[in-house]
Amino acid sequence: MTAMQQQFEHQIESLLDLPPYTQPPEEKQSLLLEILKEELDYAYKRHAGYGNYIQQWPVDYQSAIHIADLPFLPVRILKADPPMSLVGPDQVKKTLRSSATTSQLPSQVVLDAPTARRMTKGVVNILRDFIGPARRAYLIVDTPDFRGAGSVLGARGAAIQGLQPFANETTCCLRLNGESDLELDHEKLREFAKDRANTELLVYGFTFILWNYLVQPLLAEGICLNLPGARILHSGGWKRLQEQAVEKTVFNEQLARVFGCSPDRITDFYGMVESVGVIFPDCSEGNKHGPVFGEVIVRDPLTLEPVAAGEYGIVQVCSVLPTSFPGHLLLTEDMAQVIAYDGCACGRRGISFRFAGRVPKAELRGCGNVQIKRSKVN
Amino acid sequence: MATLTALVQKVDSPAEISSTADRLHQAVVEEEVSPDQVIGVFEAWARSLDDRELDDLPGIPFLRMWLRRGTLEPIIGRELGCNALHGGWTEYGRARCKAFPVGIVGHWPAGNVEIQPILSMTCALLGGNAALVRVPHGQVDLTQQLMEKLVESDAGELLTRRIFMAAFDHDRHDLQEAMARAVDGAMIWGGEDAVLQIRALPFPHWARLAVFGPRISAAAMDAGAWTDPDESPSWCRRIARDVWQFDQQACSSPQVLFLERRNGDSIADFLKVLQRAFESENEAHPRRTISAALTSVICHARASWLLNDPAHQAVFPMEPDWTLLVGCGSDLPQPVQGRTLTVLEVDNLLDALSKFDGNVQTLGLGIADREKERKLASLAGNRGVDRIVKLGQMHVFAPPWDGVDLIRPMVRMVRHVCSTG
Repeated sequence: MTAMQQQFEHQIESLLDLPPYTQPPEEKQSLLLEILKEELDYAYKRHAGYGNYIQQWPVDYQSAIHIADLPFLPVRILKADPPMSLVGPDQVKKTLRSSATTSQLPSQVVLDAPTARRMTKGVVNILRDFIGPARRAYLIVDTPDFRGAGSVLGARGAAIQGLQPFANETTCCLRLNGESDLELDHEKLREFAKDRANTELLVYGFTFILWNYLVQPLLAEGICLNLPGARILHSGGWKRLQEQAVEKTVFNEQLARVFGCSPDRITDFYGMVESVGVIFPDCSEGNKHGPVFGEVIVRDPLTLEPVAAGEYGIVQVCSVLPTSFPGHLLLTEDMAQVIAYDGCACGRRGISFRFAGRVPKAELRGCGNVQIKRSKVN
Repeated sequence: MATLTALVQKVDSPAEISSTADRLHQAVVEEEVSPDQVIGVFEAWARSLDDRELDDLPGIPFLRMWLRRGTLEPIIGRELGCNALHGGWTEYGRARCKAFPVGIVGHWPAGNVEIQPILSMTCALLGGNAALVRVPHGQVDLTQQLMEKLVESDAGELLTRRIFMAAFDHDRHDLQEAMARAVDGAMIWGGEDAVLQIRALPFPHWARLAVFGPRISAAAMDAGAWTDPDESPSWCRRIARDVWQFDQQACSSPQVLFLERRNGDSIADFLKVLQRAFESENEAHPRRTISAALTSVICHARASWLLNDPAHQAVFPMEPDWTLLVGCGSDLPQPVQGRTLTVLEVDNLLDALSKFDGNVQTLGLGIADREKERKLASLAGNRGVDRIVKLGQMHVFAPPWDGVDLIRPMVRMVRHVCSTG
């Protein structure tokens, strides 16, 4: 490890040891800005193309005074194959792959050992603030083979694994049927629920999987699991449920009904494979917050400046955690509304925001939308 | 009531379209209008558009110029014959010919050029036709404003009784079909998907279709032009104007500028001048809105250009206002739009042009060497380019457009040989 790596490793570790949502926004900004500059400096020297991008950015990153001035990468850039890497192939421990539901190509990010370790710590640090530190029985609403093959891990697998530090035993309650479709394993579920009516539990599933393969079958059969101590987390976005016209309130009510718990024990969180270790659970006010080791900027599409409170824009996710790939400053393809820049009633400091769907699919309009089909002819 | 038919109306049933078509058909057969009469109304309309409050609306200066008698009369003479202006017959030996309207012309404008519903409609009216125009959702407000001015300028309802502007969602297939069934001709503009969908509608077997499909455009300069320090600011202003007009979404918008290399000359100075021209144009014509999708595309284009090749350069502000992507090579790059111009150095412009195909509509040129320009024009024409113009004039709407006339496709040239001759 170089001296530079050691330095920001130490800085990142100290951020990971802090409570995630107590820093005053200005202090947090200045802490993050310095580390992000160092990380850009490090990345600049390790990837010629990225270095070129940083160099030609309109603002010199070394003299930037706001995180918003630093060179951000559109997240689609990470759909490269082979994946963009800031470390040698021998240092890559794992490759995370996005689910690629809205495009053909998945994003791929490579993790070296330090980045993988920080990813785990980041998720634990954030979730501890929402569900407490205790380990408990963990019901995974997915199949046991979520880990996939080899060193490549999908978005579902990454989310499931991210919650393992809160588990003392795990049960997967879905299986593949003869046609390779997911189905509920009633026996496993019954076994898990047995004698746990008064126990704190953790449940996780992708949003649409929970709905289609657990909530729907149990509702149809009129089954309530009677697990009032269940703490249910879900992620993966609402696109597929919107296609089925399922509103968030209906989802929460029905999910709570089949578990026999209160709807306020259900937490939706947003996470991108590309933004390792930084996830955004809903707070009690229905807002999302950035942790001390990350930040969210919501940019006005017209100016790319951060929007005012109350306004909508394109979400940029910032994180100091990844050093094995250029994932520090990612302009996502999601829209959000900034609720406030501080002072959420839940008590968490810094920006509070709500997602507002995807940036519509970007296509060339009108008569200029021709593809260059024959220009490769020599 | 002219004002009821000429202004944009929301349509919700096929029956509305067919009853409107009946009225339009009546208007065409009841009264012939000569191109001269049409131009008379257009001139009054152009004057009514000469209003400072309209200046900021997209395409208005251009529309004013198009509606002038000085622009339209030569087009009528060239396309329809020397006596056509006043609706007369033109003698050809023992025969005589005259242009008659095809009847009702349906217009399916593209969503990318704000004034296209109006421009397309004017072509049909000049041929004496009635116009049934489907106005895309994003163009309703501007079209409405312009049509209000036409209504004011056409007190005798010479034209307004021949026009119906229909607003309905593009996926209302029943209404698209009703419109297709009702027309005798169609002018179809747009991207590949749109054009294919509309062409497949159930038009009558006699209907004439003029299709203006998806194209891109390019610009090119030889070293004699771009290295001239006295001339380069003017060339750069022209390039910026071509990029800005229609927000670089028209088929005539340049997406790439090829610069022919000359030993010892660096493009660095030229790029600075081009950057200043883009900054000035942006100051004069800033964007008022942008879709998040386009911003996303622009950011991605900037990043992928610089990441893909460390030798690539780019110049852009923090805002998505404009972008210059700079490199070398003779292949046409993928168009980005959003005021993003790819500037490519090439050893010989002929190499770049020889790779063009039918996708390229317009070639904007800034060439100091006349002989070279002739060679380039011949090569470009041979490789499918339909318009070769000076930089700064890439959008000048003059026929032939896409290689075809604009008025003649929607008229019937009737030949009369006198029976007693």
